[in-house]
Order: sequence, then structure tokens, then C-alpha cells
Amino acid sequence: MERRVVITAASAITPIGHAEQEIVANLLQGVSGVKPLRQDDLLARHIHCGVFGTVDYEVPFHFERRYRKTMGPVSFYACQVAKEVLESAGLDRDFVTSGRLGIAFGSTHGSPTVQREIYKIFFSGSPGDFSSIGAVDYLKSMVHTTAVNIAKMFGITGRVISSCTACTTSSQSIGYGYEAIKFGMQDAMLCGGADEYDTTTVAVFDNLLACSNAYNETPRLTPRPFDADRDGLVVGEGAGAVLLEEFESARKRGANILAEIIGFSCNNNGGDLILPNTNGIIQTIKLGLDNAGILPGDVDVVSAHATATIMGDIIEAKAIHAVYGNGPRVTALKSYMGHTMSACGVIETVLTLYMLKEGFLAPTLNLDRVDERCAMIRHVRTLERVPLSIAAIQNFAFGGVNTSLILKRV
Amino acid sequence: MIRDEIRDFLLKIFQEEFEIENPGLDDDLRELYGFDSIDAIELLGEIETLLNSELTQDEKKSAMDIRTANQILDYIESLARAREG
Repeated sequence: MERRVVITAASAITPIGHAEQEIVANLLQGVSGVKPLRQDDLLARHIHCGVFGTVDYEVPFHFERRYRKTMGPVSFYACQVAKEVLESAGLDRDFVTSGRLGIAFGSTHGSPTVQREIYKIFFSGSPGDFSSIGAVDYLKSMVHTTAVNIAKMFGITGRVISSCTACTTSSQSIGYGYEAIKFGMQDAMLCGGADEYDTTTVAVFDNLLACSNAYNETPRLTPRPFDADRDGLVVGEGAGAVLLEEFESARKRGANILAEIIGFSCNNNGGDLILPNTNGIIQTIKLGLDNAGILPGDVDVVSAHATATIMGDIIEAKAIHAVYGNGPRVTALKSYMGHTMSACGVIETVLTLYMLKEGFLAPTLNLDRVDERCAMIRHVRTLERVPLSIAAIQNFAFGGVNTSLILKRV
Repeated sequence: MIRDEIRDFLLKIFQEEFEIENPGLDDDLRELYGFDSIDAIELLGEIETLLNSELTQDEKKSAMDIRTANQILDYIESLARAREG
């Protein structure tokens, strides 16, 4: 049995806003959410990179204590976007708790803020302090904390998938949610990912010389995907969620269908755990197109992973060109907010849904002078008002994991 | 430590840490306020602070069947007596 799968609700908390209208306005106006890296008491002052994709507005969390008590910051983000998609979709309570709705939601490594507090106790040198580790610290910090806190808050009893593959976490969540519905294992899936403010991730990329640090005084000018003067990625924070439903049941209940997911692929490069791989990505793209049953020429726009590392962008541009030629437009949404890690796949999906709906393509920010090694593809360099039908969203992660999601406007 | 002092301590903790306002002393805390095993473990930590003494594993396990504020007061009184003795 193969069933059609549609997206019926979407929400994101991003460095360029929370509400749909705000995010769309910032995409249209080319507003960046990259700000100075805020300080912490551990790593920030040692890091060369001084910028961060920052959520610097208040998110109106209103969660009762019975839910808050097992939530670290990452779960606040996750539960908020989950709440918003469930409200927006208008699913009735009986369905939500029926077991026919599942969850695919993850984060890079749970809540580093809570983990940091645990390690402080571990290394305090005082044996008596071990008993002061909170009873709920594990529940707040474990790698599947987002998925199960969502399940608890809304009484969701279906299957739980909690990918934790760094930058492909939430694109896998959507892809595996799509497959669970497509093959009849669930009728709906709440999918997404979240990552909280965390300097550990910045330090890791900084030590690998992969972080931007030449624009610390002018944060909005970085990252610069595909630009000749790019100098690395910018880590960010945020969350996103989408609700996937089986097409016929969504249509019958009169759901607002934002797009259909027509294809998904996931593979591994089978080698290096850090460097992207042209052949691996070419295979990802081809597998996605095969899964969707479409040709490269059918794709209107590619949302590139494009983190703005020197090698990563070149390799991705080569792979896009090898499969698509210079047919589809290519945009790099991380230029607006940096790399939100686990959340990037779903945030880029949500932004793509907004662009499909509104009929525009946001240009890659800071792409002032295209690197000639990335020039063979069709970059979006100015705001384009074009009707769009099919979009491909690609994401790649440490560990050689690649994904491609293909959406079609219904 | 007299029972009234312990009751004041408990009601303050309920209010500040557990968002439970003035529960009836014989209310079923789990049923009426969702006070679960996670909360019980957190409360044991507060009791250790109150008594300025670590509880043994057996003492902690013996608290797991407690359902009401009155039972908690009895429990703390017995712990305090054991430490005075």
C-alpha cells in the first residue's frame, strides 16, 4: 500500500521570526537574524567565531508545571512549535490520542544546557553533590527529550522516531514521518526538530576551522553561501514542526493542504565523517527524484544545504549541477539565520512552504560575488516573484548522512 | 521539630516548587494535583535540606507509597525523630 502524504500545518521559531507573516516579511526584505554571539560562562570567550543565529525575542511559552518539569530549553522550543501545528491543523483530541498520530522529532544532543549543569556537579569534586543531580535532569537532557515531551503534553500514543543525526535530524524526521504514512503505519505524523542556544557546537566547528570569524563586527554579512568571500558557517538556534497527514483523510476533513511530499531520500557517503562527498550527494538527489517519480527538469527550486564552508558549497554546487544542470533556481536559506543544526531541515521546509504559498523566491543573502567554483548553477540573487510547483530541500550532516525532500504544491 | 513547623515548610515547598496551593491535608496528591514519582524524588531532596541530613535508600523507598500531605508530615516527623535519637 502506498498512500499520498500532505503537509497540513507548519510552524517555526527562527532567528528571523516566529509568526509566518514576520518570517515572510524578513525573507522579502532580506533581513538577517545573525547577531553577536551571546556570552556564557564556559566557552564563548574562547571561540574565534563571534556571531550566532539568534532568537532574540520572547517566545510566549505557557506550559503548566506538570509539563515544564521534564523540559530543558530545547523542549520548550519543540513543544511550542508542536502546539502551534496541532492547533493550526485542528485535529480533534480523539484522533491525537488514538495511536494513529505519531511523532518524529529530534535534536542534536538533547539539552546541552541541562547536561552542562550535570557535568558541573560531576566535576565539582564533592561526592555529596552527586545526590543533588535532579531527578528529572535525564528526562530534560536525553536525546529524545523533544519527542517524548511533545507526546506527554498532547497525549500522543503513536510511534516515536527520534533522529539525532545533527544537521539532517529534522529532514530525516520529515522523511521518516512521510514513509510511516505512505506505507500505512500511521495516518498522521508530527515531525520536526529543535536546537537550543549552545556554544559547544560553535566550539566544535570553530576548532575544525569551519566557523565564520571574519565578520564578527558585521554579523549580518555572514554566512555567505556560494560567495567568493565566504569564510564558514554560523551556528544558530531554533525549531520547526510540520504536520503530515494521509492525503485522502486530510481532504475529507477539509484540512488546509500546504503541499504534498512526493519524495524523500536518505543515504550515506560511506566514508569521511566530516567532508561532504560529491558522489554521495549526487546519489541522494537522484534517489529523491526517483522516489518522487519526476525528472530533474521538473524541479523549480532547490533549497541548498549551503552552510557557507569553503569546500561544502563547492561540493554541493557540483552535485546540483551534475544532476540538474543549471535548470532549477538554487537558494541558500541559511544565509538568513545561520545553521540551526537539528532544526535546519524543518525550518528550511517551513520557509519553502511559505515561498510556495506566496509565489516568491528569497535570494541567497550576501551572495555579492559568486565563487567561480560554484557559478555553474542558477543562483537566486534577487527577490523573484515566480509561481513555484516543485521544490527540493537538501540537507547533509556530519557522519556523511544526506537527505533530499521533495515538495509539490497541491 | 514540631508538626506545625513541618506543615508550614511543606505548604511553602508545595506552593513554590510544585505550584500546589494549600492542598487539603488528606487530599490524594497524585489524583488531584498530578504529584508523581518525579515530584516525590524532588521533594525528598527538599526534605534532606530541611533535615540537613542525607536519607538512606531504604528511607527513600519507604516514601514511595505516600499519597497525602498528612502522610508526608508523618514521614518527616519519623525521620526527624530517628535523627534526634
